[in-house]
Formats: sequence, structure tokens, C-alpha cells
Amino acid sequence: MARYILRRVLLALPALFGLVLLTFVLTRVIPGDPAATLAGDSATPAQIADIRARYGLDRPIWEQALVHVKQVLTGDLGSSIFSGRPVIEEIGFRLPATLELTFFALFLATAIGIPLGVVAALNHNGPVDQLVRLISVGGLAIASFWLALMLQLVFAMEWDVLPLRGRVEVELGTPPLRTGFLLIDSLLAGRLDQFRDALWHLVLPAVTLCLPGLASIARFTRSGMLEMLQKDFVLYARAAGYGRFRLYAIYVLRNAVTVTVTQIGLLFGALISGAVAVEAIYDWPGLGTYAVQAILSADYKALLAVTLVVGVVYAAVNVLVDVVQALVDPRVAEDIR
Amino acid sequence: MRLIAALLATALLAVPPAMAQQRPLIWGDTLPATLDPHAIFDVPSQFILLNAYDGLYRYQGNPPQLTPWLVERHTTSADGLTWEFTLREGVKFHDGTPMTSEDVAYSFRRLLAMNRAPAAAFSPVLKPEGISTPDERTVRFVLSAPYAPFLAALPLVAVVNAKLLQANTVNDDWGAAWLAANDAGSGAYRMDPATYRTRTSLDLERFAEHFLGWAHNRRPIDQVRSRPIMETSTRVLALLRGEIDAGDSYLPTDQVERVERNARTRVQKDESMRVFIIRMNNRKPPFDNLDARLCFAHAFNYEGFNTIILKGLVVRNAGPNPNSLWGNPPNLAPYAFDLAKAKEHCDRARAAGSPIGREIEIHIQSELEQTTQAAQMFQADLRRVGINLKIVPNTWANITAATARAESTPDTWIHWVSSYFIDPENWIGQMYDSRFHGTWKASSWYRNERVDAMLAQARGSLDRAERERLYQEATRIVVAESPDIWVYNTLNLRGVSRRVQGWNFSPVGSGGELRTLWLEN
Amino acid sequence: MIALRRLLRDPVACFGLLLVLGALFIALFAPWIAPYPEDAYESHIMQRLRPPSAEFPFGTDNLGRDILSRVILGTRSALVVAVAVVGASLLIGVPIGLLAGWRDGWLSDVLMRLTDVFLAVPQLILALALGQLLAPGLSTAMLALALTYWPFFARTVYAETRRLRTALFVDALAGIGASTTRILLLHVLPNAAPAILIRATIGMGFTILTAALLGFLGVGAAPPSPDWGLAVAEARQHLPEAWWFPTFPGLAILLLVLGFNLLGDGLRDIADPRLRRSRH
Repeated sequence: MARYILRRVLLALPALFGLVLLTFVLTRVIPGDPAATLAGDSATPAQIADIRARYGLDRPIWEQALVHVKQVLTGDLGSSIFSGRPVIEEIGFRLPATLELTFFALFLATAIGIPLGVVAALNHNGPVDQLVRLISVGGLAIASFWLALMLQLVFAMEWDVLPLRGRVEVELGTPPLRTGFLLIDSLLAGRLDQFRDALWHLVLPAVTLCLPGLASIARFTRSGMLEMLQKDFVLYARAAGYGRFRLYAIYVLRNAVTVTVTQIGLLFGALISGAVAVEAIYDWPGLGTYAVQAILSADYKALLAVTLVVGVVYAAVNVLVDVVQALVDPRVAEDIR
Repeated sequence: MRLIAALLATALLAVPPAMAQQRPLIWGDTLPATLDPHAIFDVPSQFILLNAYDGLYRYQGNPPQLTPWLVERHTTSADGLTWEFTLREGVKFHDGTPMTSEDVAYSFRRLLAMNRAPAAAFSPVLKPEGISTPDERTVRFVLSAPYAPFLAALPLVAVVNAKLLQANTVNDDWGAAWLAANDAGSGAYRMDPATYRTRTSLDLERFAEHFLGWAHNRRPIDQVRSRPIMETSTRVLALLRGEIDAGDSYLPTDQVERVERNARTRVQKDESMRVFIIRMNNRKPPFDNLDARLCFAHAFNYEGFNTIILKGLVVRNAGPNPNSLWGNPPNLAPYAFDLAKAKEHCDRARAAGSPIGREIEIHIQSELEQTTQAAQMFQADLRRVGINLKIVPNTWANITAATARAESTPDTWIHWVSSYFIDPENWIGQMYDSRFHGTWKASSWYRNERVDAMLAQARGSLDRAERERLYQEATRIVVAESPDIWVYNTLNLRGVSRRVQGWNFSPVGSGGELRTLWLEN
Repeated sequence: MIALRRLLRDPVACFGLLLVLGALFIALFAPWIAPYPEDAYESHIMQRLRPPSAEFPFGTDNLGRDILSRVILGTRSALVVAVAVVGASLLIGVPIGLLAGWRDGWLSDVLMRLTDVFLAVPQLILALALGQLLAPGLSTAMLALALTYWPFFARTVYAETRRLRTALFVDALAGIGASTTRILLLHVLPNAAPAILIRATIGMGFTILTAALLGFLGVGAAPPSPDWGLAVAEARQHLPEAWWFPTFPGLAILLLVLGFNLLGDGLRDIADPRLRRSRH
């Protein structure tokens, strides 16, 4: 198993290296001239040329790429060309916000998706099954930005029962920074009011974000359950007098984690693009808004770093998913290429 | 026992003094990309410049008056080259260091060395060698050429704490890496670096020892939390719900009524100096043809845009300078929306061989809805005179990069020219003098040697009457040649909470000065 | 044929098919169906933001245009984007998948690692960056989506080819001297077709969603295009008053994507006999 894990990690490395190069090429051909933007309003061409030279933007592109790769390998992602601050620091503030939202959404997706899938399987082809099917297909068909806007319109604007935006009420203040996860930090600080407030702010964004995950988890739970119900051992067990519910419970317990973990791997892309949309609507200070900001202001350093960080997280998630799968089902490990 | 004592102490400490119980002011306007006042110069950066820092001069009131700030008096030599400023006594930086002329000289040298946006107003006439400090309270500037807007541009420059920055300098960067996220000012409010997250949050607290004292404000605000909200509609809703006390200075005119109707909020309306312009690239056909330009100038529905879409909250502006500024010819007639006339000019341009039938691009700034609305309206009306306008969504960053060369400058694009300093130089001077070609302000690539000469002369003259005459004459020529389409001068609209009082609006900074504000209960 | 009959027996999949066919019909005849077809580019500032009424069933937008007409007119571009993106992704992804799956050795490795690299980049962020790369606009957005979607096809085809390569009939064909191209195009590809078709159907829905998101973020379709995502973005400033403004374009996205997804779901059920609904 250890060898398998090592091999899986090593396999991810060339992809990551390719990612570093690819993102560099892509972001450096962004048409906005960072030097011009950096020089700012009412800068003269001479000023812009000066800045271009200072940031090495006038060097041949391959030379810039080499410098970039060298920097990344030494863990230096550079400074944002606008804020002048180390990009890694800015991402450090924002990544926990996105992760908190994503984890909470995944929790919701699992907590709702698995029971839905079980119920659907038990009512195979019945009306409940069709309904769950409609939900699970519909969940993947809703545009996240639109759903976010609609939920915000109804619950925050019209009825005013849930917060409109942000992670926490400004007046309440934020707990001292420890993990960056407000739910954890507020508990560590013993501030239940802040904890409640942060949880309250999570509801709408997380509900929006959880939908695609919920849909897939419900669907995979359903099909997995159906498959199991037809297995010979189940028939024997039933014949031997095991109760139905006991069998279901065994199935659900055994598979809940696997289904969720597998789905995280498959859904990561959807979660990221969902997070960009959801963060934009709910004004969530996460990585998604950071990426959009970086793109709109042609901040290529920031964009490179975001792409890289997300790519690394993505690769890590996939390695983890494979490892968990291999632990559950050792045949997978032999199969991998 | 010790534990109980500790708990008791904590409990006692936790009871805040009466003063601190005041609710903080929550500021929802955009934060600039960096806190370094010498690195950036745009509308959001004014918030830092006006509150955390002080300059030699400052614009106060509306119409804006150039007011001595850190300076007690100044003298100018007869040739207009040597300027000597005597500083006030007793000015302290936030860390308690007294301010001296060395700090002022350091600030200007830093500005020139970094050579970022705010340096542009000075770098042509001021070299680091030209800055000297005869004594602790005197700073002297020797310019290389006479420059009339020198005084008017001084408020652009924040005076920073030289000792603090020198202590935080790495690799000769003038402390740039450090100052991007820290405070080195003397202003009425002190920024708390620990709370700073780029473009997301920043807390400020009142600096009790500010050199002007606080006698002017009985109940100044002690705590300010800047929490920018990126999206316009969310910002307005947050204001209506009382989550923030002030929005940005671009409140959409569609929202004015709603903000006024709410019991908690109102709109702070002030006549400002921010001109809305549709630029035409005069180097690119068909815009090298006067008739083609006049055709476009007559095809924009000014009345419809200003009174219906913008609900009459703006004023028609006939030329590049805001109406309320000096240097405008009396009774300058604005172009009128007249499709018959537009057609006439278009036909004439077509007869002269101008490629007016080609697809013409108009670049908009996607995040600013007014630019989209204006472009869509323009597009529909131009279609009636047989012109095919294509809307290209773009961003400020991309467009301003493209304006560096005439070939890459869009056919047409839409933007505002805000008041960076109050002088016709900020508008007509930098927009239509060909020496500024390559900057976004001069992106119509207009060239007229007579205008160039007049603007250069006005720039170098210290005689206000002569400058007035030159700017009037230049404006008349420029308007007749219609290089761009000038639409309106803004009314500054900021949605604010009714509990905030004491607004002290000045067009520079769009009314974001916190010093005079207080909170009503 | 059997597949079609099976599909028609599945009510949910039929509903999906109906939605897709309906959208196709609307897209083809949009200018004749829309009550005010000129509202694709016209503006009527005197009738801004009217709520739904008999005259304007979906209300009017911020420039006084009929939203119903614009939703109808937007169908075409949504479908065109989906077809073009999925088509282009097929053209890139299928050959790469076939080649990598058939061959062993370095070429296969390089191709699949390349696929991995593209898969490792978050699709939306890559699309956003690319969208800014050339002038932002619909064609750029389409290019970006195609460039990020082909790896999914490459993966699918790769897996199918690997599976079929060892199949008995392929060995037999090779034995009687059939050329590799012939085997790949005439025997492997048709066998991989169901998997590709399902991927493509799901991909249509997915592309429509992502293109709408790009439009919403301002790097997709440009005004005055009646693009649905763009309409939702334009509507934001007018909430909560003009609730109808974002609602109907969003519903249109939902229905069209739902159609493709239900159809894809139905096709998957047919192709994967283990989960076939008729059993049990």
C-alpha cells in the first residue's frame, strides 16, 4: 500500500510541473499590460517602460518562464503586482474562507444526499425514486450563480430571514485569527455569538454550493444500493433471516464515506466553479473572488498562484481519493496505470 | 486563587470605557489595492491619503479650495522655479516622531524614485536634486521649468514617516514592501495593520494627537471599520439593512429613490467634477474625419441618457472641463441629439471616402453598468443612421494598457475623468495636449499644434488671467473639432446612513474625509 | 432503434428529449416566434423595468426590452455554443484518446500526462484566464471551454479503447490483417460510441452552464447579445425590485440544461445494463 501511495504521488508530479508551465504561458499572454496597470492612472509611457524593466517584464518570455519555475520550486510565488504583498499571504487569508464554505457544503451534501439515495433505492422505480431522480438531475442543471441570486432574493432581500452577504456581521467583529476557519476560531475564543453568526452566514452559500454534490451523492448511493440489493450475499443474508434494515444500515455505514470521498474527487471542478459564482454573489472573501479580481485587474502573479494552489489542492484531493478507494477496495491499486 | 484573580482582572478589563462603547463607523466603499500612498493614485486610494496621511496642501470644501495643510506659508520666486514651504510646528506621526522637513523631502524623493502614478504630475519638472531642506521647518523645491499646476498638484503627495520607512527598507525598495500593508502617516486616523486584508478589510482608529486637534468635532468617531463590498447591488442592500454606514461614490441613479425612501439611509448628493466621456480614436479612420466625428457627436441621446436613465441627476457638460471649473468659455454650446444632422454629417464623411460603414467597436467597462447602458443606447441610435457599432466588454486594466499605442487603442471607449487635482490641466491639459499621447487620458490621439502650444503656455504661466484666456480659447477649438463626445458632469451620489453627520464634501476624494464626521444616536 | 424504443419507454428521459427538441425548435424559428424580435439590439428607455403583463409576459429589462423575446432569441446562441464546444472537444479529445489507448509507450504516456495537466487546471479559472487572453467575447469563451473540455473525451475514449484493445474480436481482426486505422475507426470507435454519446449529451448541459457563468462574470457574451447569463448579471443591479429580470433567463438555462441531463441520464441507463430500470 505504501508503495502504491508513493507511486500515486509521483505520478501527480509531472502533471503539476506541466501545470506550472501551462499557467505561466497562459497568464503571461493576458493582454492587459501589467506594467501599465501597475503604473496606474495618468502614468506616462516612460514610467511604464521603467516599471516593465524593474519587474523583468521586458525579458524574453522563456527567460521569464525559467525565473518563474525557479521561484515556484523554491516556494516563492512572488508578490501581487498591485497590492505589493506576498501572494501566498493573501491566499493564506482567503483559502480558509473557501475551504470552510466547501467543507460545510460537502457536509450538507452528504447528510442529505445519502438518505435521499437510500430512500430512492428502496422505492426503486416508484414515484419517490423518480422524484429523487428529478432532484438529482435538476441539481446538476441549475446554474449556481442563478440559484445563489434567487435564494438571496427570497431569503435575504424579500423575507430578510438570512444574512445577505459576508462571513460575519461586521459589528460583531471577528475572533482572533488562529485557523482562519471562523467556526473554529470563534469556538476557540469562546465566542458563541460569533459562532452562531458565522454559521448563520454559511447557510445560503453552502446550500447553493452543496446542490451538485448532493445530486451526485444521492445518485451514486442509489445505484450502489441497488447493486448491493441484487448481490447474492444479500439474498443469502435475507434468506438467513437478517433484517432488511440491518443490511441497509451496514451498507450505508460502509459506503457513506467512500461515496462522498469519490464524489469529492469527481466534483472538485464543479465545486470550484460553484464557489466562484457563490462567492461573487454572497460577497464571500474567498479564493474565487480573489481569482476573478486577479483576472479583471490583469494581476498575473496572483492568478498564477491561485491556479497553482487550486491545482495542487486538486491533485492532493485526487491522490487522497485514490488512496481511500484503494484502502477500501485493494483491486483498484493493481489496476492503476 | 490566582486563577480567580486573573479572571476578575480579565472581567474588569473587558468592561470598556464609556468612550469606546460607541458603535464603530462601517465604511463600505472600495479599498485601494495597496496602502502605500505613493504607489497608486485612483479614486479609492484617496481614502487612505485623506485619512491616514497629511499633505502639504489639501482641497477642502466645494467648490474645492486649495488650503495650506502641513504648511504655514510659502514663497515663490519671480521666475516661478523656486518654491519654499515653511512647515507647521508640532506635527506628529502616529508613532510619536515629530515631523520635520526631512520627512517631506524624503516623501517627494520616494515618490520620484518609485515613479508610479502620482509622480506623473511632478517628474517632468522636478528632479531629486531639486529638493532640499534649508532647516528643520523649511523645504525647498527648485523646478526645471515653470509649472503652473505645481501647487494644485501638491495634495497628491502624502508625507510619510522617513525614519520608520528607512528602518523597514529592504534592497533599496524605499520600504515599498512594508508600506503596502502598514501605516507611516500623521493623519487623523491610524490604520491597524493587523486587521488589513487586501481589498477586504481594514480597521482605523482615531489619532487623538492629530496636529489639527479635534476641537472642530465634538463627538468624533473613534473606530472605523472599512469593509468594502464588491458588488453594487449588494452594497446598496447592505446599506439599506444597516450593515454599512456608507457606500461608494458611484451610487446608481436607479437606486437613489430607494435609498432616500429608507428610514435608515439617505443619499449625500454633491456637485462634483467627474466628466463622462465617449472617446474616439482620432488616428483611426473614420475618426480622422471631422464629419464622421460630428456624426457620432449628434447621434448620442444626451437628453434621454441624462434625464431618463440617470434620472436627471447629472448635468450636461459641453466640453472636456467640468462646467463648474474655471477656464471654460462662457456660453459654450453643447452638441445636441439630432439624427437628421448626424445623417447629414455621415453622408458627407462617406462622400469623402471615410470608411464609416465598417464595424466600429465601443469598449465598455463591464463592471460599470452606466458604460454598458450608454453603449447600448448609442448602438441603437447609430443603427438608425446606418452605423454598425459593436460592443466589446473590457476592463479598465486592459483598456488603459491598450491606449499606450494608437493602433491598439479602441475605436471608441467610455470612461470618466475624475478630479485628481483641481486645475484645467487635469482635464483639457492632459487630454488634448499631444505630449501626453500614450496615456489613457490622451487616448483620443488628438493633435492640433495650436492647441498644443496654448496648453503648454498655460502650463508654464503663473498669470491666472492669461491661463484663463488660453484655456478658454483651447476649449473652444477642441469642442469645435469634436475629438470626443462629452456627456455629463457627475453629481456625486453616495448612499449613507442617516446617523452619520458632518459630511465635508470636496470633489477630490469624493467626500471620504472622516475627520469631521460624527454619529447621531 | 432498440435504444430509441427503450428511451421512449422512460418517461423522465422522454421529458428531457422533449425539452431538447423544444429548444431546438425555438432556436431555429426564434425570429418568428419572438413577439419583438428587434429587441435583440433595440432599446426603449421609456418602458424600462416593467413587470410582467399581457403585453410583456416576462416583463421588460433595464433598457425596456421585452424579456420573453430575449429569452427566445437567446436560445439559439446557447445551443450554438453547446454544439460548437462539444464538437470541437470531440475533434480534439477522441483522436487523442484513441491514439493513447491503442498504443503503448512514450506517446501514449505523453498524451495522457498532457490530458492530466489540462484536467488539473480548474476549468473555470482556465476559461476565465483564456477569456481575458484574447478580447473577451463569446468566441473566446467557446475556445476556452473547448480547450478545457476535451480531456474528458480523451479520458472516456482512452478507457474504452483500452478495454476493447484486448477484446477477442479485435485480436481476430488484427489476425486477418485489418489495418490499425481500420480497426480503430470501424470497430473500436463505434463500440465506444455509446460512452461518447453520453459524455457529449452531459457535456452539452455542462457547457451551457459554464458559458452562462462566463457571461455572468463578464467574460462571455457581450451586450446587447440576449445571452441568458449576461441577462442575470445585468439584472443584479435592479434587485429586489425587478425580480422578473433574472428569473426568466435563469429558468431558461435550467430547463435547457435539465433537458440535456435527463436525456443523458436516460441514455446512460440504457447503456449500463446493470442499472437498467426495466430490470427488477
